Amino acid sequence: MIKRTYQLVITTIIANILCACLDPPTALTEDPEAFPQRSRIAELLSDRGVAGYPMATEARTFSFPEDHGAHETFRNEWWYFTGNVADEAGHWFGYQLTLFRFALQPHAAPPLASSWQTRHAFIGHFAVSDLSRERFHVAERYARGAAGLAGVRQAPLAVWIDDWLIESAGTDGSWRLRANDDEIAIELSLEAVKPVVLNGVDGLSQKSAEPGNASYYYSLSRLGTTGRLTVDGQSYRVSGLSWLDREWGSSALAADQAGWDWFALQLSDGSDLMLYNVRRSDGSADPFSAGTAVAADGSARHLHADEFTIDVQDHWVSSGGVRYPAKWQLSVPALDLEITVRPAMADQELVTSVRYWEGAVIVDGLSGELAVTGRGYVELTGYDFAADQ
Amino acid sequence: MMPVLHRASVAYLWRHPWQLALAITGIAIGVAVMVAVDLANQSARKAFVISMDTLNGQTTHQVVGGPGGVDEKLYAALRVEHGFTRTAPVVAGSVRVADRQLQLLGVDVFAERGFRNFSAPGNIKSAGDPEMISPLTTESLVGRLLSGEGAVLMSAEAAQQLHLQSGDSFAVQASGKQFEATLAGVFSGDTQSVLRDVVVADISNAQQWLGLNGRLTRIDVNASSDAEAAAIANKLPAGVEMLPAAGRTQNTASMSDAFMTNLTAMSFLAILVGVFLIYNSMAFAVVQRRGLIGVLRALGVTRAGILRILLAEAALIGMVGSLLGVLAGIWLGEQLLLLVIRTLSDHYFSVQVSGVTVSTLSLLKGLAVGLATTLAAAAVPAAEASTFQPRLAITRSVLEKRVSTIVPGLAVAGIIIMMCAGVIIGLFGESLVAGLSALFILILGFAFCIPFIAARLSAWLAPLAERIGGVAGRLAIGGVGSTLSRTGVAIVALSIAVSATIGVSAMVDSFRASVSDWLSASLQADIYIGVQQGAMDPDLIDDLVSVTGVASYSASRRAWLETAEGRIRVIAIRRAPGQPAGVRLRGGDADTVWRKFAAGTAVLASDAYAYKQSVLPGDAVTLNTRSGPVQLPVAAIYQSYDSNDGALMMSRGAYDRFFNDPGIDSLGVYVAPGVDTGAMLRTLQEIARDRQVLNMADNQRIRRLSLAIFDRTFVITNVLYWLTVFVAVIGILAALIALQLERSREFGVLRALGMTPAQTGGLVAVQSMFIGLLAGICSLPLGLGMAWVLIEVINRRAFGWDINMLFPVDVLLFALLLATAAALLGGLYPAWRAAATVPAMAIRDE
Repeated sequence: MIKRTYQLVITTIIANILCACLDPPTALTEDPEAFPQRSRIAELLSDRGVAGYPMATEARTFSFPEDHGAHETFRNEWWYFTGNVADEAGHWFGYQLTLFRFALQPHAAPPLASSWQTRHAFIGHFAVSDLSRERFHVAERYARGAAGLAGVRQAPLAVWIDDWLIESAGTDGSWRLRANDDEIAIELSLEAVKPVVLNGVDGLSQKSAEPGNASYYYSLSRLGTTGRLTVDGQSYRVSGLSWLDREWGSSALAADQAGWDWFALQLSDGSDLMLYNVRRSDGSADPFSAGTAVAADGSARHLHADEFTIDVQDHWVSSGGVRYPAKWQLSVPALDLEITVRPAMADQELVTSVRYWEGAVIVDGLSGELAVTGRGYVELTGYDFAADQ
Repeated sequence: MMPVLHRASVAYLWRHPWQLALAITGIAIGVAVMVAVDLANQSARKAFVISMDTLNGQTTHQVVGGPGGVDEKLYAALRVEHGFTRTAPVVAGSVRVADRQLQLLGVDVFAERGFRNFSAPGNIKSAGDPEMISPLTTESLVGRLLSGEGAVLMSAEAAQQLHLQSGDSFAVQASGKQFEATLAGVFSGDTQSVLRDVVVADISNAQQWLGLNGRLTRIDVNASSDAEAAAIANKLPAGVEMLPAAGRTQNTASMSDAFMTNLTAMSFLAILVGVFLIYNSMAFAVVQRRGLIGVLRALGVTRAGILRILLAEAALIGMVGSLLGVLAGIWLGEQLLLLVIRTLSDHYFSVQVSGVTVSTLSLLKGLAVGLATTLAAAAVPAAEASTFQPRLAITRSVLEKRVSTIVPGLAVAGIIIMMCAGVIIGLFGESLVAGLSALFILILGFAFCIPFIAARLSAWLAPLAERIGGVAGRLAIGGVGSTLSRTGVAIVALSIAVSATIGVSAMVDSFRASVSDWLSASLQADIYIGVQQGAMDPDLIDDLVSVTGVASYSASRRAWLETAEGRIRVIAIRRAPGQPAGVRLRGGDADTVWRKFAAGTAVLASDAYAYKQSVLPGDAVTLNTRSGPVQLPVAAIYQSYDSNDGALMMSRGAYDRFFNDPGIDSLGVYVAPGVDTGAMLRTLQEIARDRQVLNMADNQRIRRLSLAIFDRTFVITNVLYWLTVFVAVIGILAALIALQLERSREFGVLRALGMTPAQTGGLVAVQSMFIGLLAGICSLPLGLGMAWVLIEVINRRAFGWDINMLFPVDVLLFALLLATAAALLGGLYPAWRAAATVPAMAIRDE
């Protein structure tokens, strides 16, 4: 949900593209005079530049399959798949395939005859965690939403960057994912086990006190997954569970928010749990942290910040010197749930245009009296900047 | 002993500063010309390759199509359907900002990573606002580049020269139309000079400005392996192919090889003349000191000792001269570079050079050649001097006698050497280097004959001179034959330099006449209309040709066809109905040829193309068309001088069938009888105003402009041969001064015998003139021979041009005049000295 990674990702990516082709712009060098108080992430995520875009301020009526497609008037949007799959021999893998759309400007420029003109940039992140070999692979793509290079086709739904593709045939809840890079590839079929869950209040997910600092956010929290996964030249027939997060909006982090920890967990009792913790610049948890509990029958319950606690129990320091949380004790008294979440392998840090940790996790604990296990994905952002300071 | 000998040597040189200075100058100029040409050539070529490398970046291959480029859908298909993401689209062309021609590079910034690294250690500056790039807002650099609103980047230098600051809006002229652009940022740092004339814009703007919507100029590929390259090549449709990028750069660069080889040859000519001068100077230094040498030998100095001291002297002179020459060469190289670049840009490729790159190798080469030639040239007289018997050394007549016995033998050797040149031309039919070598061998061979010719002419003319000028006349003319030991080499040097002017002038004049003749035949229409880049607006064409008074019009398109071997110029023409063809065919039945041409079943090849590709009428050429390779017969060869590598001409119908490029870039308008061409021109200009910037001119103006470019091309050749003449004049001056000074005792005797100072001065002046005249006469056959070799061998091999050789009487007369005047100039000071001889002082010597 709060995966506002996008802004960071996109902004930084674009800066990096410039670095790559035009070399580091002086403007990007960290200048203490320019940013005296705030970290760079906060600066990058400031809500400057949102003028002219509609804001997510009011609840709306969701309609499917249309809302699976693009909402181009909003500044940003993403299709965020994560999943844990295994082959018959019990080799476990985690994967992440995310396609972001980001509007470069609120209104279309005067049209040119050139089909390359665009106001949308698309970014893709694709990662595979080979959990038994403890190897992590990540790839990144970006393209303009023009000339057929990247885009969204509404019906039947297709979102693509180059040959990375997310497709959905229609209303039956089935999806197809395809992505590849030098060492990794996936070709997966996904089948929704539960209906769409609207996060926040009827799908409006508020992120800070300021109106409009919100997004429209829904999930498919449990997607039965089968297909083929290739890593390091070896191909596996795999099956497992995936999770889809869809979110769009125009706002950005509030001035005093630094990053977030996000959990998407699928438990052995058939229930799913999404929690996020927005961290403030001073290190404290933001009251706008929230979550959604999805029961085995698909019924959902919104969780307020005061209805759960997240206790960090361990840390891991990446090769780049970034210190991430690496083990959590999650407590949701209202659900009578006490679980421990730990990374399925330590190094699942994405060193792409932006540096963050997004990885497969393993869950065990108690739901009431019953032991539960589970798997899921955790995203941790904003720690590299803390390390910088 | 040695220090004393050296002191004698230094003292001698010091007492003859003129001679010393002239010897050094001769070496210096020769070396300077060689170094300068080397530096200019290398700098221009290196700049081109560097700029191509910078612009190509990591590109390993380039996917290119026909004249219309590549369909942009192919790019999307390669990435989206086939997953080839190591690809980047490029739309390139030239645009004009204010009065400056710039190269527009339209790119997709998202695809650029892994391709162009526009500034490794440098960077890009944007507006001075530190937040300009970082937040992704409408104002950010990438946001603006992608917006299609005309944001561009250019070098800081270009921006400064155009008085533009980041954020400024300005007009870009492309395809003859105006577009609005904004300077979003500037390149600074190391890439500046390479990107000096480059504007980077988003591909959407580049397509719009260049009128290339839907098309890409090329797709750059950074293949990770040969397998990937092959896989991509496999997916390309007919008419599109993938070429290695480095090969293309080299092919383009090598287009200018012939031009540069010719310049190098010219610079060697300067060195060759320089060698004669050095020999000349050293020979004098020896001859004049034969007394001293005789004394030294008598005092017990060994032959080796004499040889050593003379060679040490030569090494010193050679070193000083070469050093000065290298320094002068750097300066001269800067000047020549401008001329080289202008020619390259006129005829081959656009290149930007901020200054001459001084390569150590070139400088060392110059030093080595200068020193080696000096030593080699000095070796002969030095070796000779070391063989002097102590007593004989004192007698000059011995020396003259020896020379006169050598002369006929030299002539025979020369004739044999010249025959070798003929053999080389015959054996190596295609090679330019062989042609140039033959030219040099021819010059060398003829040089050996010159003393003989001079001696014979002098002997024959002496009686005639006596009849005209009495004893003084006989002394003046006959004296030349008997002083060949000193004048021979100077005559040779002057002859060669003057013959170079004859050869080059005769070649250029013949060439110019052929071009002029060809222009008259080609420029059949009354008014020509063209667009600088891209295509003419079709609606505008309709309006222009429907003006009352336009009888008919021809339309043409000039395009490049990319092949693995380089680019081929393709000219598509639609002939004006009822008008004669502006193309002169070389052979073939015109009716048949034009019928096949119109039907599109055959093409015409320019004579340069035919020569370079060894194509004869009836042979087939293979064109990579949109439906794949097509073989077409060449119906005929046509005369043309407008493209260095030649061109293929086809009918518009055939062009449209083969290539996806509907554009027309020039029209030839035929004005109806009775309509004033000037008035029509103004009418047409009025119609085009505010719609498209077109170049319009009547055929006279086109003709003048074409010849102006032609003349410009040969400026550098002229500069080089004048430098050679200058070297020769220096030489003759040195020779005459030395000769006349040496003869001061003889003049003293003549004065004592009753000759007036005026008569003595006149004697020297006449003799000098006669030496010049002899050199001039000798230069005539050599010059004509050179002209023939330049036209029939060098130009043909270098450019494939077919030139009708003229017999340039004026050039020959000028050569005689030049040689005589140069010698007279050289003889003035000696003449004055001779006139001022005081008999008693001169004779008192002994």
